[in-house]
Amino acid sequence: MLAPQMLGISIILPFIAAALCLINVPTLRSALVIGTGVVVSLASLLLVQSGTFSLTPESILGINPDGLIAVLDFALLFVILGIAYRLKNKLIAGLTLLQIVPLAVLELFMNPGENMGPALYVDQFSMIMCMVISIVGSLICLYGLPYMREHEHHLKLEKSKQGRFFFFMVLFLGAMNGLVFSNNLLWLYFFWEVTTLCSFMLIKHDGTEIAVKNATRALWMNMLGGVAFVFALIIFRSQGLPLSLQEIITAESASKLALLPVGLLCFAGFTKAAQMPFQSWLCGAMVAPTPISALLHSSTMVKAGVYLVIRLAPAFAGTLFSNYVALFGAFTFLAAAVLALSQSNGKKILAYSTISNLGMIVACAGINTPAAISAAVLLIVFHAISKALMFLCVGSIEQKIGSRDIEDMRGLVDIMPRTTMMAALGMVTLFLPPFGALLSKWMAVEASAHLPLVVIMLALGSALTMVFWGRWLGMIMTSVVPDKVLPTERMPLFFSVPLWTLAVSAVVISFTAPGLYTSMVLPVLERFYSADLYTAARGVISNNIGMFAIYPVFVVMALGVIYAVRASSAKRFFRRGDYVTPYVCGLQDPADPRRLGFKGPLGVWSEFKTTNYYMENIIGESRITGWINLIAIGILIILLAGVF
Amino acid sequence: MDFKTFSFVILAVILAPFAGGLLAGIDRRLTAWFQGRSGPPILQPFYDVIKLLGKDRQVVNYWQIFCVHIYLISSVLCVALFAMQADLLMIFFVMTIGAVFMVVGAMAVPSPYSQLGAQRELIQMLTYEPLLIIVFVGIYLVTGSFKIDDILSYERPIFLMLPLLYLVLPFALTIKLRKSPFDISTSHHAHQEVVRGVLTEYSGPYLAILEIAHWYEIVLILAICGLFWSTSWIGLVLLLALTYMAEIVIDNVTPRMTWKWMLTYMWAVGISLSFFNMALLYANSF
Repeated sequence: MLAPQMLGISIILPFIAAALCLINVPTLRSALVIGTGVVVSLASLLLVQSGTFSLTPESILGINPDGLIAVLDFALLFVILGIAYRLKNKLIAGLTLLQIVPLAVLELFMNPGENMGPALYVDQFSMIMCMVISIVGSLICLYGLPYMREHEHHLKLEKSKQGRFFFFMVLFLGAMNGLVFSNNLLWLYFFWEVTTLCSFMLIKHDGTEIAVKNATRALWMNMLGGVAFVFALIIFRSQGLPLSLQEIITAESASKLALLPVGLLCFAGFTKAAQMPFQSWLCGAMVAPTPISALLHSSTMVKAGVYLVIRLAPAFAGTLFSNYVALFGAFTFLAAAVLALSQSNGKKILAYSTISNLGMIVACAGINTPAAISAAVLLIVFHAISKALMFLCVGSIEQKIGSRDIEDMRGLVDIMPRTTMMAALGMVTLFLPPFGALLSKWMAVEASAHLPLVVIMLALGSALTMVFWGRWLGMIMTSVVPDKVLPTERMPLFFSVPLWTLAVSAVVISFTAPGLYTSMVLPVLERFYSADLYTAARGVISNNIGMFAIYPVFVVMALGVIYAVRASSAKRFFRRGDYVTPYVCGLQDPADPRRLGFKGPLGVWSEFKTTNYYMENIIGESRITGWINLIAIGILIILLAGVF
Repeated sequence: MDFKTFSFVILAVILAPFAGGLLAGIDRRLTAWFQGRSGPPILQPFYDVIKLLGKDRQVVNYWQIFCVHIYLISSVLCVALFAMQADLLMIFFVMTIGAVFMVVGAMAVPSPYSQLGAQRELIQMLTYEPLLIIVFVGIYLVTGSFKIDDILSYERPIFLMLPLLYLVLPFALTIKLRKSPFDISTSHHAHQEVVRGVLTEYSGPYLAILEIAHWYEIVLILAICGLFWSTSWIGLVLLLALTYMAEIVIDNVTPRMTWKWMLTYMWAVGISLSFFNMALLYANSF
């Protein structure tokens, strides 16, 4: 099998294609983005055919790879130092120096390559991640092609910045693939920092004042994680451990401080995954064009953070630290759901919902039972697909109606029927059974049942999630059927291909969840856990405390939906002429009964307006963010103290 | 699934609406008795639904039709899954499909009453959902499983271990069934400020479907209550009768409250009671 080649393609090809994107020619760029997307996606699918293997490349283009990575590491850090100088930001400069100096000490004096083991390690978990990154990420890049053309047209730019844009987008995919396959922690650290740099450049892409400000915040928060990462490496070395991820997970260290470096790596993961109190960088990233937010939120960046935490989970199983991680994640889950409820800005709702889901994944890593880890891995997949779909829909909606406020999306189904249906599907797959995201939530709640505080937070957060999705779902459907013609909508090809692919895979992959679990998640779990594993048989996922009948629920609901679609078909509806105007106590306009409003006293016409409960005076963002951050910092301090 | 379970599921799906309708009839008779009236015949709910089914169809848009059907399917599926003795938490999540689509159907119409009702219904969901999850977690802590067949094979009545959680359960269920004092999103009588809230825009056969789905829900809810004393038939019947009686009495003696009151009090009281009960469980296990 060609597994090593596929591995090489999925990491190196995006780097090369990205560099070529810098040649700012539209046709070449489209060809590069499409070609890379197709090749990388196929490579990730072929890679799945192979089993677990590890690999140490002898040389990359004739250069010793370890040396290359080391040089690139320093180059990267000096680039960031240059950026800090340009931004005149002492904090970022300080954080960069705090990485350069320890890294130099590590490289020069601590013999980082000792007992290294393989540089790259491929197992089912990294294959899943690679598929998510390569396929979902490529679809988002594809969507970016028409989107950015429209975006620049709208901004009336004289000189196109799309070359740079796609350079960082495609580079991101390569860096993420490198990150999930790295076993050598120095390599992982390099790719980690590449994603930090890429996200900074992408967030500040539009160059507005707010974009630069938010990008700067993203940079320093992620650099904070980078500092923790470097110090973790130093501590590992000082304990004589090799800088190999697999070694560290399985090491039975007798050292009293064994958990400290693992804790620091988790901290780095929390910053990248935008856990409270670091949520503000991800919310700030919303100023960027939609493909960027979609990429950061669904398949890359934040997923790198949770990936690392889940990878490390076996290393802290059964410790007090683990319980604190569960508490920390559950708190993020709840707090972000509360904040999402208070928002009417559609992209902010998506952002907080992402943070909330990431919180659930971190909580699962902390609960640290095989059921919880299954939930975490599956949630990464299902969240990536559905969230990418949601972002792409909201991006199209925003370009069409010129607003991202959900109150302005009332009656969207009349304006953009297709996009609305896609968005509705995206929402349903994110929060209702029998779809995968809910399957993961079910696993998470059952796995956390023995931790009362965690389960109560999950229960509250889960109810809040239902509310903010449910009402958005209802709003976009609001309409009075105007006449006997159904509205139509035309979509550019590169809008409809990603949207359709994501929508179909959100449903199909949810249906195949039992198979996905058996083939991709179970082998990873079996390495570390022996008891209480879920088994999937005949479409039912079960363990000793619970069971989820996916196929039966799917089949019954599918039949129900088919019946309901037929019963509510527009054709039938028009033929029968069953429609009436909404009830307004008989006070509608007799001349035009469809006009919404009342004929008030003295025949004065008064319109009415309904809005959602946002409860901004109680749970508004500006009101509670400070408190949430304070509590989160508190939990974080206790958590990090838990390693001693 | 063997033949016995299969026939049991079919039986449950067929009989549940009759049981639910009958209970609704008894409910109305008892309510009338409390109020010094004689009330309608016990079979009145069936007459109502049959009459509704024969009426003209009138809706504002087709989503409404879609949503009522999904609501019905999810309610039927929940009862079927309960009869299959599946996972409690899974049944709960399937139940939310119906609840969400009920709200979506109400929001699909730009009528002030149904919109307001939908918003309030969302708050009702927000109030009862966490409480129900916590009750199920409590059941797990006692029996060690979320699966109904394991729960049924537990040798003692769960009620004895979870008395406080059993207080939480009817509250959550009252909110779910929108009975007074929690008939906030809609109410039995359409002369409130929200007219009939979430149900305002439904009439004729579609209202009938909602009514039938509601009967399934009543049965499901009583079945969940029944888990608390599943060891003996007498205990089971007594517990359910007392619970439902208490529901009717509370329904009659309390005025409807505001959603703010509901949300704050129910969360505060519900979660504290759950914590006490869990603490009791932990104390017992030492």
